[in-house]
Amino acid sequence: MLVVRLGAILMFITALAASALALINKSTAPIIAENKAKEAQLARMEVTASLGDVTFDEVTTEDGMTYYVVKDQQGSVVGYVGTAYGKGYSSTVETVTGMDSEFHIVGMKVLFQQETPGLGTKSQDASFLDQFSGKLAQDVKVRKDGGTIDSITGATITSRAVSNSVQVLAREIEASVAANKSTVPEGLNLGTLGAENQDEVEPQDGQGGEE
Amino acid sequence: MNLGEVFTRGIIKENPVLRLALGLCPSLAVSSSVFNAIGMGVSVLFVLIMSNLLISLVRKGVPAKIRIPIFIVIIATFVTIVEMVMAAYAPGLFKALGIFVPLIVVNCIILGRAEAFASKNGPVASIVDAVGMSAGFTLALVLIAIVREVLGNGTISLPDPSNPVVAMAIQVVPGSFEPILLFMLAPGAFITMGLWLALFNLLDARKAEKKKQETIQASFQRSK
Amino acid sequence: MDFMNLFVIAVGSILINNFVLARFLGICPYIGVSKKLDSAIGMGFAVIFVMALASLASWLIYVYLLDPATNVWSTPDHPVDLTFLRTITFILVIASLVQLVEMMLQKQMPALYSALGIYLPLITTNCAVLGVAVLNIDEGYNLVESLVNGIAAGIGFTLALILMAGIRERLELADVPKPLQGIPIAFIMAGLMAIAFLGFSGLSVG
Repeated sequence: MLVVRLGAILMFITALAASALALINKSTAPIIAENKAKEAQLARMEVTASLGDVTFDEVTTEDGMTYYVVKDQQGSVVGYVGTAYGKGYSSTVETVTGMDSEFHIVGMKVLFQQETPGLGTKSQDASFLDQFSGKLAQDVKVRKDGGTIDSITGATITSRAVSNSVQVLAREIEASVAANKSTVPEGLNLGTLGAENQDEVEPQDGQGGEE
Repeated sequence: MNLGEVFTRGIIKENPVLRLALGLCPSLAVSSSVFNAIGMGVSVLFVLIMSNLLISLVRKGVPAKIRIPIFIVIIATFVTIVEMVMAAYAPGLFKALGIFVPLIVVNCIILGRAEAFASKNGPVASIVDAVGMSAGFTLALVLIAIVREVLGNGTISLPDPSNPVVAMAIQVVPGSFEPILLFMLAPGAFITMGLWLALFNLLDARKAEKKKQETIQASFQRSK
Repeated sequence: MDFMNLFVIAVGSILINNFVLARFLGICPYIGVSKKLDSAIGMGFAVIFVMALASLASWLIYVYLLDPATNVWSTPDHPVDLTFLRTITFILVIASLVQLVEMMLQKQMPALYSALGIYLPLITTNCAVLGVAVLNIDEGYNLVESLVNGIAAGIGFTLALILMAGIRERLELADVPKPLQGIPIAFIMAGLMAIAFLGFSGLSVG
């Protein structure tokens, strides 16, 4: 009988603890959700600041990825914003990336990283992120991989995670845009993405070098 | 033992990290910035005060056999409260401390104090004990963090006075010095911890030596 | 392809993000049980065993009982989010699991019990075990990936522990300055080992 009694006591205490937590969760959960939404909205506005006064239309692709089509006040598409997820050194680095309608990067913000303390934070610095501005999003690569982005000293993996994930994001958005539109813009043909890009990318690369 | 002694004991003589070698994981993991160290210290302070208080209040009604599971449930509850409140009101800190917030549950200092002190003493003494021990824990974290942040990043980050949940980094080493990155990384944490432990050992040995000398001298004078 | 992914997770947890030397998990037993090689080996295998079980149990509980997207209480219209109970359920699961393993070993495999028995109670407060359970969820691993990560994390812990025990057995004979003797020198050695393990961070797998 002792076992039953002890079990009952434990059960009672655990139930009490769970209800107390449920109560507190009820009041903090909306704040946490609001924080997240606000942070995401702010980040979107920040990375598209150079596109002027814009609105965001949420789009969810068939694979469940969400991105935003950026429209100006007249309702014409001026760019895209999405969150890139890159497997870094010790965490998944989340980078909000704003692009103009031709997929040139107009702004980037690292939303989350838990890389090596001190080094990972450098991925949020302007000196690293500003290098991406104006580059064609599908082509950003760190110098070690033959690209034009200087890695953060001591954090090559983080730098690579950011640039590679942005690349993937841009390609995915591009594919989705191409699939959604009946009139596909030149060079953004879904079926021939890989090959077409190579051609389109070269001149952009040269332009990037001049800057 | 009077309350003053209960309080000061946790800070120097029985400092949980530097003397008893408890709670080592968070002391290494979150000590890359002074701000994070303080944030972790405050979280532990809250959990330890609440769990010590509650355990001290219910200590006579708790069956000895299921004592530990009950303590764990109590501690886990307060840790989860810290998690939720921090995520809601200090999201930046919550992200920086990461997995080490839920891991406060297994911080041996907390279960250790519950078992060694709160389950045997009254509520007031238990709170004083909690404050003293967390102060000692925070002190140790801040000491490690100061060394690591100054050497590794050239800054000291403190809570921003206008908004204490946000860090404000103060440059203390001129920017022209290249910081020693190693101190920000895992090896720097281990080495800094080792050196602080050695320093505390040294001070302790000096003090014991001095005391020994004094007693010898006193007995010598008496014999004269 | 799938196997490659599991391999990447395993190498990551054993070498690149070694639980002890890079993630700072399980430091207390790492310093406390590394004085003798024999006990380090015993502790190591007990941890691998418990971590594997804890990874499985915590993953199943999280997915089927807590996560609003997949748990049994939720319907598409009424998701029931119990994720706030994660910490409390995980620590209770681990504590009961350790007890259960202890009782089973004692009855079924007394030889193994006498070898690992004394280390089992210490494992409940080993933050590496709770750590791996939480990390599996944070990283979004599936059941197999969680199991592999759990075993790999345990192996990584054991590797660091055995290396350290080997060093400390030799240190006994060395002339270490008095204030550094014992735990301080162990930390400095751990620092040097961590530098060596930093070398693995250059590995780019996958």
